[in-house]
Amino acid sequence: MERLRKYGFVAGFLAVPLVLYSVFVISPYVQAFQLSLTSWNGYSSIVQYVGLDNFGRLFGDEVFWQALRNHGVILLVLPIVTIAIALFLSFLLNLGGGPRGAGMRGVWGSTFYRVVFFFPQVLAVAVVGVLFQAVYRPDADGVINGVLARFGVEPVGWLTEPGLALWSLIAVMIWQGVGFYVVLFSAGMAAIPKDYFEAAALDGAGRVRLFFAITLPLLRDTVQVGWIYLGIAAFDGFALVQVLAGDKGEPDGATTILPVTIYKTAFAYNKVGYACAMGVALFFLTVTFAVLTLRTTRRERVEL
Amino acid sequence: MARNDPPRRSVLAGLSHIALAVWALLIILPLLWTFLASFKSNTEIFGDPLQLPGALRLDSWGRAWDKAHIGRYMFNTVIVVFFGTAGTMVFGSMAAYVLARYRFAGNRLIYYYFVAGLAFPVFLALGPLFFVVKQFGLLDSHIGLILVYIAYSLPFTVFFLAAFFRTLPETVAEAARIDGASHTRTFFQIMVPMAKPGLVSITIFNVLGQWNQYLLPLVLLAGDPDKWVLTQGIARISTLAGYEADWPGLFAALSMTILPVMVVYIIFQRQIQSGLGAGALK
Amino acid sequence: MTYPGEITRRQLLRRIGMTAFVAGPGAGLLSACATGGGGGEPSAAPTISASADAKNPFGVDPKKPLEVVIFSGGYGDAYAKDLHEELYKKEFPGVTVKHNATQAIGTQLRPRFISGDVPDVLNNSGPESMDLAALAAEGHLADLSVLFDAPSIDDPAKKVRDTVTPAVLDNAKIDGKDLVLNYTVSHRALWYNAKLFAARGWQLPKTWAEFTALGDTAKQEDILLFAYPGQKGPYYQLWNVLYTAAKIGGNQVLIDIDNLVDNAWNAEPMKQAVTAWVDVQAKYGDKAYFGLDHTQTQIKQLQNKLLFYPVGSWIENEMAKEIPDDFEYAIAPIPDVTAADAMPYGAIQVGVGENFVVAAKGKNPQGGLEYLRIMLSKEGARGFTEKTENLTVVNGAAEGLDLPAGLRSAARAQDAAGENIITDARFEGWYKELFDYGTQQINVVMAGRITPEDFCAKMQKKADAVKKDDAVAKQTRSQ
Repeated sequence: MERLRKYGFVAGFLAVPLVLYSVFVISPYVQAFQLSLTSWNGYSSIVQYVGLDNFGRLFGDEVFWQALRNHGVILLVLPIVTIAIALFLSFLLNLGGGPRGAGMRGVWGSTFYRVVFFFPQVLAVAVVGVLFQAVYRPDADGVINGVLARFGVEPVGWLTEPGLALWSLIAVMIWQGVGFYVVLFSAGMAAIPKDYFEAAALDGAGRVRLFFAITLPLLRDTVQVGWIYLGIAAFDGFALVQVLAGDKGEPDGATTILPVTIYKTAFAYNKVGYACAMGVALFFLTVTFAVLTLRTTRRERVEL
Repeated sequence: MARNDPPRRSVLAGLSHIALAVWALLIILPLLWTFLASFKSNTEIFGDPLQLPGALRLDSWGRAWDKAHIGRYMFNTVIVVFFGTAGTMVFGSMAAYVLARYRFAGNRLIYYYFVAGLAFPVFLALGPLFFVVKQFGLLDSHIGLILVYIAYSLPFTVFFLAAFFRTLPETVAEAARIDGASHTRTFFQIMVPMAKPGLVSITIFNVLGQWNQYLLPLVLLAGDPDKWVLTQGIARISTLAGYEADWPGLFAALSMTILPVMVVYIIFQRQIQSGLGAGALK
Repeated sequence: MTYPGEITRRQLLRRIGMTAFVAGPGAGLLSACATGGGGGEPSAAPTISASADAKNPFGVDPKKPLEVVIFSGGYGDAYAKDLHEELYKKEFPGVTVKHNATQAIGTQLRPRFISGDVPDVLNNSGPESMDLAALAAEGHLADLSVLFDAPSIDDPAKKVRDTVTPAVLDNAKIDGKDLVLNYTVSHRALWYNAKLFAARGWQLPKTWAEFTALGDTAKQEDILLFAYPGQKGPYYQLWNVLYTAAKIGGNQVLIDIDNLVDNAWNAEPMKQAVTAWVDVQAKYGDKAYFGLDHTQTQIKQLQNKLLFYPVGSWIENEMAKEIPDDFEYAIAPIPDVTAADAMPYGAIQVGVGENFVVAAKGKNPQGGLEYLRIMLSKEGARGFTEKTENLTVVNGAAEGLDLPAGLRSAARAQDAAGENIITDARFEGWYKELFDYGTQQINVVMAGRITPEDFCAKMQKKADAVKKDDAVAKQTRSQ
């Protein structure tokens, strides 16, 4: 009886989410996997199966590899830099006041800073894109170039120099993301028992040593959560690239990323089958990333 | 107590303030520039970026309001995000709870079934999704969009809430069950309040995610501009600004979308931050 | 220099039908072409046949709703909403017309075409415009020959085909069928500020040497000789280079490129054209423009920061609100690149554009055809010109209208060009992937990161790939 009640309860709680998820998420993806084996053009009523041709073609596709390289760079740089800046800022916010006195305290104005830092997170990506178009404008009237011009620096083509463009885009992602992780890490730091620091401070440890010896190890789990979020973000970036760099990944494909390439291949060139194959490849990449991260994080139990 | 700080300390404190202030300025300045640009003329926008607007021109705000329907888009977005997030949290926490705390055949399988969704790029499903939604007659409807938002938010929500529910102590739920509380009651009256920090932080994440969603409404609400959400509106104004060379109007529209969000955020910032923080720890 | 294209230039011109484009400044525009055949029996089409009933030749059900989708770009959508749709409602009182304006044509409509829920009239344009050849292959596009053979609204004795400039009929074809209506006429070359030239006493450069000499003069006043928007519209510069190649080598250069002829991109005129413009960019350009979009660049021109800008005659309306008193748009032909250019100085590109199609499998294809017939009436066309300050393909529709300075200059330039009209490059619509690749590579070559030879070789490689790709439906043109 109890067993039955339990199963009834489990089934009852799972039914709606499972149905919604299966209908709106899984079934379209299954169709997409199917389409990756076809040469469907998005219009035709006849769908031709071409086996693995699309995947074979991927290997020789310059744009695809370029997009992969760019994802690699983003995947490497975005989490590291974002987490580093966020850790640094939250360290200053929370521990900057020093280990003396009534335990750890935040610097003066830390609430203000936290509010401001988080703010880009609540802006729609479309807004951020339009905003940074003005910031990065390549003539002397851009926001950054205008400031540089005051110091006699020639205007820089932030989004037009092939060597710079991807970094400029990553900078926007970091700009938008840091605040979130500052809040995340701040909360983590605030929860570290104060006597840890007091004991260490009595031993004469400096603030930098405190950070590396106590704060960082205790924040490990929180940082790993951040790493997963950012890793997923590294495979997206669709709206930002679309608005800032255009759908060709200007300049010279330096900012090409897979979502934009897939979208364009499917909807501008009518190669839906081929685009789905790219999507499937992207799927396996994300899965690989997720599995690797999960293996190292194991977020089953968290203890402080 | 702070009186006896050695000079090195105050130098360090000064340096940290400088670092914090620099980052704060990096965030405030572009936003301030946007706000000021809405009062500029085209010529001024294309002139020295450090110049203040020559006059307080409010007409661009009027134009943006009339043409861009910011009010309506904002209203639509609030409706969709409210119900979308509410639904996501209800169904997501139910599924996560069951998967985290009950042993039954297929548990792991269903868990990974949900989590796999994290790895799918949304636009891959766009075409087929359109037909699925169409079959249910839910195209160009907010209900359709809300259901899709819920479905697409589930992987993330289930993944993190399941981890969260696992960390909650077994004893309380056990005690409730011994007292004869049903599974459902245990969940709503005991587990949910206990899980509040985690729920709050995932709620915030979902609100942000759904608030920013662009592709799904673009395809699913295409036919009826009256139902559009804010991101579609912005994209539209942005292209329109290009064709009509109305840059002040664009920046006025941007400011109009930024300001209310800023106000709401500042009002709730304490809850948001503490919720986010508490959830992240567990 | 005896490309077949040279021989047909006169024919081509006659096709475009605007030999006597202008009788006097602003007056009688397009009027000379308003002659034409008498009314014969409209030919029957498999699905819809046109009767001789001038009031309602397609047998429109007056109660059936009509859905119109407009690309809301440079022309806006007021011409449809406040004019053509109103005319349609006037003809069928009480009928509902659903109006939908968007910039994301493809995103919005592609799923609808697949699912069969299509709008009746579609203005297919903009960066997300759909592949019409693919739609045609699926039988989605209604045959417009019924429309062309239907009686004109203004004169039932005349067929619609005789009231429009003949280029419309030439450009209507996909796979040999009349499926697309091009509604506007535009003039493309270099655009400049006539008032600035008058004030400085500068003359329009006729040769490349004069062109660069003017660049040196302008440089002293901190004015760039030339700039194009590199960010979202590098296609302006791709057009410019293509038209320059046609000027050097004749229209056959472009026709070969369109037909995917082997080594068409490696033709000498193509290389010369690219080289000439790359040199101009290197010596007189400013790399900042690689990151500006078309409106931003156009504002700079209005501020007299650059002399010449490669664009079409729609620019005047696009910038209408911003034009200062000391600025007046005028068109300048591309200067002679070599001493032996196939086309003499004065050649400009004149073409038809802005695609409208009727959905064959829609709910109301008859209404769609009638809607296009209304667009092609004098009232519909004239109203379009009034609202958008752009010309339509309807003969004599702009007669008596007070046209703005830039359009008048375009008319004069076409007059002066005589038969030296540069053709349009149609691979833009036929092979989007090739065109997109070109718009990307043109920035690369203009920035000096590859040589003009590399550019041509890369384009040729891509063209070859398109030619080999079975998934892409091939089109051909004879002239």
